[in-house]
Amino acid sequence: MASLKDLKTRINSVKSTQKITAAMKMVAAAKLRRAQEAAESGRPYADRMRGLIANLAAKADPSSAPALLVGNGKSASHLLVVISADRGLCGGFNGSITRQTRAEVTRLTSEGKTVKLLMVGRKSADSLRREFGDRYIASLEGIQGTSVAFSDAADLGETIRSGFENGDFDICTMIYNKFVNAITQEVKLTQLIPAEVADAGDGEAGGNYDYEPEEDELLASLLPRIISTQIYSALLESSAAELAARMTAMDNATRNAGEMIDRLTLVFNRTRQAAITNELIEIISGAEAL
Amino acid sequence: MAETTQLELVTPARVMAQKSVQMVVAPGVEGLFGVLPRHAPLLADLARGIVEVHEDGKVTDRFMIDGGLADVSSESVTILAERAIDLGTADAATLKVQAAAANEAEAAFLKAVIEAL
Repeated sequence: MASLKDLKTRINSVKSTQKITAAMKMVAAAKLRRAQEAAESGRPYADRMRGLIANLAAKADPSSAPALLVGNGKSASHLLVVISADRGLCGGFNGSITRQTRAEVTRLTSEGKTVKLLMVGRKSADSLRREFGDRYIASLEGIQGTSVAFSDAADLGETIRSGFENGDFDICTMIYNKFVNAITQEVKLTQLIPAEVADAGDGEAGGNYDYEPEEDELLASLLPRIISTQIYSALLESSAAELAARMTAMDNATRNAGEMIDRLTLVFNRTRQAAITNELIEIISGAEAL
Repeated sequence: MAETTQLELVTPARVMAQKSVQMVVAPGVEGLFGVLPRHAPLLADLARGIVEVHEDGKVTDRFMIDGGLADVSSESVTILAERAIDLGTADAATLKVQAAAANEAEAAFLKAVIEAL
């Protein structure tokens, strides 16, 4: 049985852990408010961009439209853009991304496709490196988290676009956590190239567009921008989701630590009582013997 | 009541404007164009310039945008701009302070806004 001193040490160490998790929770909560605002206010723009490109893709003529919009007609090689966090201690956040990625890679490989990975964020990159490290085309860190810059998303978009034009891959899909609310994140797969086509029901926009300037010229400047916008919005969502996950995880950890302290304190008090009782018995029986 | 078209002006940061208007004049890369209700579907690249909103025959709002995209259908105009400023509420002094702190592209845009005020 643990001595009183051991128990005391144990309680103190759990208490300091609790202080740390409580502080991390507060920090995450404070940052979350800003990240959540950024993610939510960015949604209308991203949604409209997505709607627009879905419409364009639905109307585009596969033979003449740019490959970024309708694909290059092949599907032999896939690029997965995986967005996780740079830091851990955020519950199932990185785990669910890793799991989804592994399932997706396995599925595509079993269909005989080549899979390449572009990892954003350190955590999933680290946990998948041993399995799929040879498939990484790049592993980026530090572009998401508390502040997301559009220029980073634009650079990433540019990397993806030039890779596509060089024929490195035919289809590009993004895997990220979407922020739903402070306690829920949802793993989303979004296809970047070729563009996801609008549902048949959405065709009411009707008729073909007039373009100004010419169609090719306009699409050439528009499509890269749309890809960057989608990446940017995914980074914002993922950052907000990460902070929310961390806040929830740390809240749980703080509560668990509290429970543990209560339990240990109970054991500590019982042990102290037992020691006192023991001493009393010794004294009394000593006195009786006389 | 005259026919209206639904205007939406959206930037990555927020929805700047959302209302029914009679006419919108937008700065296309090939020149200004006006959009009335029942306009033919049009997708236009926009240059840096001023979006004018007309209601009851008058200009009611002016927004400076730094290039963007207009998606016009028969009953709506959606303008997607990476940067936009409402000229009705903008204030030259604050913008000058912002321009001093901003990067090159943004500062150039803010300068254009100050000139337009």
